[in-house]
Amino acid sequence: MAAANTLNKVQEVREVTRLERIGAHSHVRGLGLNDDLEPRQVSQGMVGQLAARRAAGVILEMIKEGKIAGRALLIAGQPGTGKTAIAMGMAQAMSKDAPFQAMAGSEIFSLEMSKTEALTQAFRKSIGVRIKEETELIEGEVVEVSVERPATGTGAKVGKLTLKTTDMETVFDLGQKMIEQITKEKIQAGDIITIDKSSGKVSKLGRSFTRARDYDATDSQTRFVQCPEGELQKRKEVVHTVTIHEIDVINSRTQGFLALFSGDTGEIKSEVREQINSKVAEWREEGKAEIIPGVLFIDEVHMLDIECFSFLNRLLESDMAPVLIMATNRGITRIRGTNYKSPHGIPIDLLDRLLIIATSPYSEKETKQILEIRCEEEDVEMEEQALTVLTRIGLETSLRYAIQLITAASLVCRKRKGTEVSVEDIKKVYSLFIDESRSTTFLKEYQEEFMFNELTGAGDATTMEVS
Amino acid sequence: EMARDPQFVMRYMEELEQLAEDVLSDKQQIVDLDKKRNSNREALAALHKKTTAPASSQNKTWLNFGGVFLKLPKKSAITMLQSDQAELDKEISQIRDNLHNKVNKLRDAQGESDLLGYGLHPLSKAELNRVMH
Repeated sequence: MAAANTLNKVQEVREVTRLERIGAHSHVRGLGLNDDLEPRQVSQGMVGQLAARRAAGVILEMIKEGKIAGRALLIAGQPGTGKTAIAMGMAQAMSKDAPFQAMAGSEIFSLEMSKTEALTQAFRKSIGVRIKEETELIEGEVVEVSVERPATGTGAKVGKLTLKTTDMETVFDLGQKMIEQITKEKIQAGDIITIDKSSGKVSKLGRSFTRARDYDATDSQTRFVQCPEGELQKRKEVVHTVTIHEIDVINSRTQGFLALFSGDTGEIKSEVREQINSKVAEWREEGKAEIIPGVLFIDEVHMLDIECFSFLNRLLESDMAPVLIMATNRGITRIRGTNYKSPHGIPIDLLDRLLIIATSPYSEKETKQILEIRCEEEDVEMEEQALTVLTRIGLETSLRYAIQLITAASLVCRKRKGTEVSVEDIKKVYSLFIDESRSTTFLKEYQEEFMFNELTGAGDATTMEVS
Repeated sequence: EMARDPQFVMRYMEELEQLAEDVLSDKQQIVDLDKKRNSNREALAALHKKTTAPASSQNKTWLNFGGVFLKLPKKSAITMLQSDQAELDKEISQIRDNLHNKVNKLRDAQGESDLLGYGLHPLSKAELNRVMH
């Protein structure tokens, strides 16, 4: 039971980090397509980008039929046109427990880890392994528990435990160890407990509803549960999905479990990885494990350099490869680490393997719909007029900026004890936080007063491109 | 169109009921077998206990076989019960294994997808340790 508990905790922690990373797309539930792969205008949190969504849906079908091995997907489009949303939607539509790993191209450049190690880890974080844990346990409501010391005063204690379900009742003779546990856990009549068959560990699930009026035995933390149904000795099956990377970490260190939390995994030896690959393959043969290829999403893929690209080419050929989705907002640009120019800054040989989807800027109506969805997702009530103003801001500045204003405006609204965000609230935050174009205008106007302003225009441009 | 045909609907409902009934009766059978298993266990525990009876009657015991009391040597009573237990364990486990298919069939008929990972063979404790915690 303890093991199961810790596991639940790990999953909770993982989901929180997941939410943080892609919070801007927490409303996406799928690609919003019907059974014929026709996109609905607004569905599952998706708005517009009909052609791109349809293309993504077709690719999903290919993935399900296993026809996309060794291939990958590139989403190209201007900033704020839903590239990440489409990648998220694909992951959601694949399988409920398919891992989705999102990273930015620049994340792989670190002093602690080589680029190839970072890429390998990202790959293995996006491959899930589904396994099953099976335990036999006794689960029932305590009808009576008695522990007696022998009349002589010394010697072993004897005990009896009566358990029932809604269908049956039985008596257990308690051994020394069981008596100790029952005493320690303060088990008494009316408790619902489980006993693990193999380890004999006793856990209290709560108190029976029928005992809710025994005021002396309850405190504020008491949980009330139904008396279990059916047989007393049950088989409990729990299906877990872990990523191959998590298995790598557990097997490469003695204190592996902690490394998962601290994030300090360092480099993992290739022998460990080979061993795990063959073990997982063996389990798969024996029907003990299922591989769930997830999605690895690399945003700003033009930030990768030529070495990374050739490594990606190789990784894509492995038989467990996840679906690789890349996104870029660049046109023809220099491939990092070379002096060659190429479309999207990606070498031609890799580009050749890619299926390319283009996204286009949202229309006014679509922008409004997206902002509406985001308001709902963030639990913000907004006046119709305020939404119209925000839509205009979104069109003239950027969608991201408008989305960011939602939270800020709702805070301003709450401060004045309002319930609905008004035009005034939007105006206030619009004046508090400047958008990119106003920031640029401001900089152009006051350039002289900033530091390091002696850089020439041309020099500026090259620094931008390198970093 | 097919859904509007009352005959078709009836046949579908019939099929669904049959599949559900199959699952429910299996569940009831597990309960019945577990009852037997637990009363056997109680009997075994009682047989292993030291009694205050005179030494002459220590070697034999009464056993209730579905309403009929039989006097048997303790040893053979214990072996009988133990083999019965092994048989029960096997039977219960078999029903549970088959239940997987029946539940999936029922879900399929109801238009639901199979439960994820339901058909997997479980990992042993040692194997689990390599994968988790």
